[in-house]
Amino acid sequence: MSELRATRRGRAASPAALATRHFRRDRAAIAWFTLLAALLLAFLAAPLYAEHVAGTSPSENHLSDVIVVDGKRRHVVSIDAQPIGPTWDKRYFLGADENGRDLAVRLLYGGRTSCFIGACALLLTILLATPLALAAGYFGGRTDSVVSRLLDVIWSFPALLLGVMLSTALALSGATIGPITIEAGAKVVPIAVIGIVYVPYVARPLRGQVMALRGQLFVEAARASGAGPARVMVSELLPHLWTTVLVLTPLMFANAIVLESALSFLGAGVAAPEPSFGVLISQGLGNVLLAPHLLLVPCIAMVLVVLALSGVADGLRRAFDPHGALGVDAVHGQ
Amino acid sequence: MIGYAARRLGWAVLTAFLASIVAFVLFWTIPNVDPEYFLGGAEHGNAYTRARAVEKYGLDDPLPVQYVRLMKEILTGKVACYYACGSLREEFIHALPVTLSLIAGAALIAVGLGVFLALVCVRHRGRWPDRVITACATAAYSIPSLVLASVLWGFLAHKWQIFPERDYVPLTENPFQWARHLLLPWIAASLPFAGAYVHIVRSALLEAVELDYVRTARAKGLSEKRVLRRHVLRNALIPPVNIWGLDFSHAFGGYALYVEVIFELPGIGLLTSNTLNSLDLPPMVALAIYLTLVVVLTSAIVDLVVAWLDPRVRSAPSSP
Repeated sequence: MSELRATRRGRAASPAALATRHFRRDRAAIAWFTLLAALLLAFLAAPLYAEHVAGTSPSENHLSDVIVVDGKRRHVVSIDAQPIGPTWDKRYFLGADENGRDLAVRLLYGGRTSCFIGACALLLTILLATPLALAAGYFGGRTDSVVSRLLDVIWSFPALLLGVMLSTALALSGATIGPITIEAGAKVVPIAVIGIVYVPYVARPLRGQVMALRGQLFVEAARASGAGPARVMVSELLPHLWTTVLVLTPLMFANAIVLESALSFLGAGVAAPEPSFGVLISQGLGNVLLAPHLLLVPCIAMVLVVLALSGVADGLRRAFDPHGALGVDAVHGQ
Repeated sequence: MIGYAARRLGWAVLTAFLASIVAFVLFWTIPNVDPEYFLGGAEHGNAYTRARAVEKYGLDDPLPVQYVRLMKEILTGKVACYYACGSLREEFIHALPVTLSLIAGAALIAVGLGVFLALVCVRHRGRWPDRVITACATAAYSIPSLVLASVLWGFLAHKWQIFPERDYVPLTENPFQWARHLLLPWIAASLPFAGAYVHIVRSALLEAVELDYVRTARAKGLSEKRVLRRHVLRNALIPPVNIWGLDFSHAFGGYALYVEVIFELPGIGLLTSNTLNSLDLPPMVALAIYLTLVVVLTSAIVDLVVAWLDPRVRSAPSSP
């Protein structure tokens, strides 16, 4: 129906417009998208929540504080070192940790850090993978072999191990490379590791697509009209790739968050006490006997983020790639 | 087939070589991490001990010479440590069966569960079992194995003590105890993958059931079950096998690390984590290279298995 209406108005709807419309009518996709947006907004608003609602910062200890819950006075951390559980109130909404820090505040800040690292890593992946895929797919031959080999090397290097090793090596004393100084525990390290590790996941489907496009008439026409390789790649081939990138984005974002949490869990990503999902889970694991909420809360939050991202990814795939032609099926997390 | 195998193994060797260079460059030439200081007695050292270390370990040699020497040391298992360590190669070989039990068990569970559920989905395609299973699969692969491992260990093993908290019993010693110790790690490592596999296998199967030869099989009067099991499954499984192989080889440097740390399984992951905590650089490089070898070798073996299953792959002109 909608397609008909579009043509009646005198112009055919573009594939992108059709797909957008499909996505907007996909109730499940919209629900996941709303959840994702709500979570991301909440993470972004972490400083506001900390200042105006909880009235504390993510690293402020309240070991000896006493708060009033339901008219009763309670210690934030009891004499036998048991932190308070969720109060469902303004202060300590999700409870406190073993140092009396507000878990809700730490969770929001942690989510913000995890998502920030994930987003930067994702951007780096796309910026590295797209030119590689364009060059490999367009030139073929020797360029393709070199790029494919490079991707194989990245692919076969144990990702988590690389990250852990690199940040441990840098943790010794940081590194100075030319004018750039990387301090120990800088976020650049996990971002770079995650960003590079996932390059093959994005570059491979893109390379296949460029190869398929290379032989088509519009590319030949552009070349015949005198366009050089760079021109053909940027103005003819690149616009065809953004759908694939768009469909891959939420999946890779989820993967990046998962990898970041694993790195931080192993002490190689975000350095405690700064919170991130991995740091919070690792902290919760040590306190599970006294305070199970410290483990459950970050776990549930992280699952919600990943779940929302998978839901959005599925919706995007249904809308933009209904026949599975982009070859992004094989990309999955962990 | 032999030609293909030779070519594939050649690529594997080349990839391992390139990866070893990357490891060497990354960890040996990082500025500020100077071996001279650490091998020369670290904070207790002085100009004299440092000069001796430079001489003894040949730190003044050109980088290619140092690279060759380090690789020799790594492959023979005699790595010069900054502090103290035993024979890393022995420890690695000792730890390998533990990690292999974890990863192979998890992979079998994930593949078995994934294929079985995907078959159920395809038999009931479009109806409620299909929808319920795919929804559950999405949920399963959205639970990172880090979260799953933490929650399972934290509650079932540590808090309620239903399952053993740590340690490992070799299969040859007591198969029941072996499985009991590995059950939670297996669940944690396999569930997310099983969820992903349900989707991958399901879409591969759905593509295959529309093909002509399947229609012929149905037209012959075969039951739907028989059509799916005998005709569709075998051909539809080839693309997923590639993904399994990749996941399998990646597991060594991936989830094995934190699952083993959480459950204190004395495998490669725990060994790596302990080495990392000692901040000892040469053994770290050695471990990275051992692990890369395992990953490269496993993915080569998987490719060979795929080629053996599917003759079309062998004659493909592009590199594997």
